[in-house]
Amino acid sequence: MQPVKWLVEFVDVRLGIKEIYQKELKGYLLPRKVNVWYTLGAVLLTLFTIQIITGILLLMFYVPDAEKAYASVEAIMNDVPFGWLFRMLHVVGANVIVIALLMHMLSVLFMNSYKGRREFTWLTGFILFNLAMGLCLTGYLLPWSQLSFWATTVATDAAGAIPLVGDQVVEFLRGGPTVDNQTLGRFFALHVVGMPLVLLGLIGLHLFCVKRRGISTPPFGEDYREPQEMPFFEHEKHPGGIPFFPNYFVKDAAVIAFFMAFMLAIIFYAPGLFFPETAFQRADPFVTPPHIKPEWYFLWAYQTLKIFPSKIIGLGVQVAFMTFLALLPFIDRSRERRPAKRPLFVTCYVLGILLFVAISIWGHYS
Amino acid sequence: MIRTSTQLFLLAVLSLCLVPALAPAADTVCLQCHGGLDGRLGDPVDAWRTSVHAENDISCHDCHGGDPTDMAMAMSPERGFIGVPEYTEVPDFCGRCHVGVAKAYKAGAHGQAIDRGGAQCVVCHSNHAIQPASLDMINEKDCTRCHSYERAALIRLALVETDTMIKNVEQDLDKLHRLGFAVDDMQGTLFNQRNIFHRTFHGVDVERVRAETGDVQAALGKIKDKIDTIKTTLGQRKLWGSVVIGLIVLAGIVFLLIRKSYEEDEHS
Repeated sequence: MQPVKWLVEFVDVRLGIKEIYQKELKGYLLPRKVNVWYTLGAVLLTLFTIQIITGILLLMFYVPDAEKAYASVEAIMNDVPFGWLFRMLHVVGANVIVIALLMHMLSVLFMNSYKGRREFTWLTGFILFNLAMGLCLTGYLLPWSQLSFWATTVATDAAGAIPLVGDQVVEFLRGGPTVDNQTLGRFFALHVVGMPLVLLGLIGLHLFCVKRRGISTPPFGEDYREPQEMPFFEHEKHPGGIPFFPNYFVKDAAVIAFFMAFMLAIIFYAPGLFFPETAFQRADPFVTPPHIKPEWYFLWAYQTLKIFPSKIIGLGVQVAFMTFLALLPFIDRSRERRPAKRPLFVTCYVLGILLFVAISIWGHYS
Repeated sequence: MIRTSTQLFLLAVLSLCLVPALAPAADTVCLQCHGGLDGRLGDPVDAWRTSVHAENDISCHDCHGGDPTDMAMAMSPERGFIGVPEYTEVPDFCGRCHVGVAKAYKAGAHGQAIDRGGAQCVVCHSNHAIQPASLDMINEKDCTRCHSYERAALIRLALVETDTMIKNVEQDLDKLHRLGFAVDDMQGTLFNQRNIFHRTFHGVDVERVRAETGDVQAALGKIKDKIDTIKTTLGQRKLWGSVVIGLIVLAGIVFLLIRKSYEEDEHS
């Protein structure tokens, strides 16, 4: 018997892995019309895995102390073998994750895949999106550069607009009246332990929701029929569908490969894309750099705070918008999923994206 | 759903209609007061804002003294206000910071002739709209305001090569710094060499300029060698990166082709 075959048999008689393979991979059927947008979940899983691996590697050399943090990051970039690659993968990977998350959420929104009793799937996904933003924000401070310091000062300052308890919230976030060593300590702990643990749990819950309820059918084509909803739980099956493995898995692998190529292309051909000049200046609380801006994915929030006459209104609009998005499956109760049959929804969808882009560009140049 | 979409649309329109409320930048009391004045008392503020001093956060009080935080005592001698220097005092006024340049200037022809109207700092560099020192300042139009251009032209010629070298090294170091390379030591050496270079030609002695720029060029050459080594490393990274990217794209294409074959099976 060949060694691999022997090993499979050895494990199978003990754990029944062939049955799992038949049931969960080859026997797990997807809708026949499943499209490329359905691969983004696998892409995100891969990107999060890369973040964890590179994060652990960076953790070996990073020193979470305001006096030493900047020098340790500089050493990672210059002295540690392949340290520059780990860090670039981590930083660029974080930005690519945000791109993939936005694409994933927008495709789910466009195909109305949150419908059909998938409220929990949407909600866990939405919380994951916000958690990823939180990881970006906490990770931003760690290099202790001018950019880190002042972007965190501005970001935490926004919480001061909360009525009555604003100042206390700011102080709680920073661990003191200003951003300093205590802020670095708590952001570090949240970034490397607290948030990743919650993230892993939520990813598990999200995948459980997806798997338990079943993959939604893309709402396109003349033969599309919305499955009937029964008054009890039912897994949405796709008889005669495509086996997940290997049939659809290869498509997942192809899109993952293209995302990896995109990420590496930024690292090798445009390494400075996500690093403004202030990212390579040691934090100085006494010198405010001119034109400090948050990362591109926070520009819409930054500009929203500026365009309203008071911060509290800007913050209120952001909270209202995010709450509306989070609760969308509970608000939008119509069963129709086909975009062609929902012109008003599609108009708002397109206008919403244009507004997000316009406000972000405005924020960049304001 | 119509209600939901209408809400989203109204939010979009509302956001676009609102006018931005921008916060004013914080200034010193000198800028706050003089910035609102016209003519002789206000012009220096506008001129200063275009200067290399403003770029580097060197403000009014750094040269003129005084207290930039107290409107009432800002111009009090008790708080170190020294006001405007006399014509012959200017080299010492600027020389508090530009020590080496002031020393070289005083030893040179310009400095020796200051009591007879010889050029001092502001004659060439202006007073408030101070621009970064460059070779363009040595030109026929400006130099011939006081004397013939021959000697100045020779000095300029001796400086061109070193000046270009300094600019190129500076640009290269800035680029490498933006990529995360630790170039502080090299930037420190460059800063030092540029100061020596500036000091050299403030003495307006052609032979001395020729001799000393040679030393500066040798030091710059060492920095250039280090930059070239880093550039070679970057080139190698890009080469290997291209190979890896190519292989990954190829793998992606192969996966797509396999998917295509599955699709044919699924449709048959």
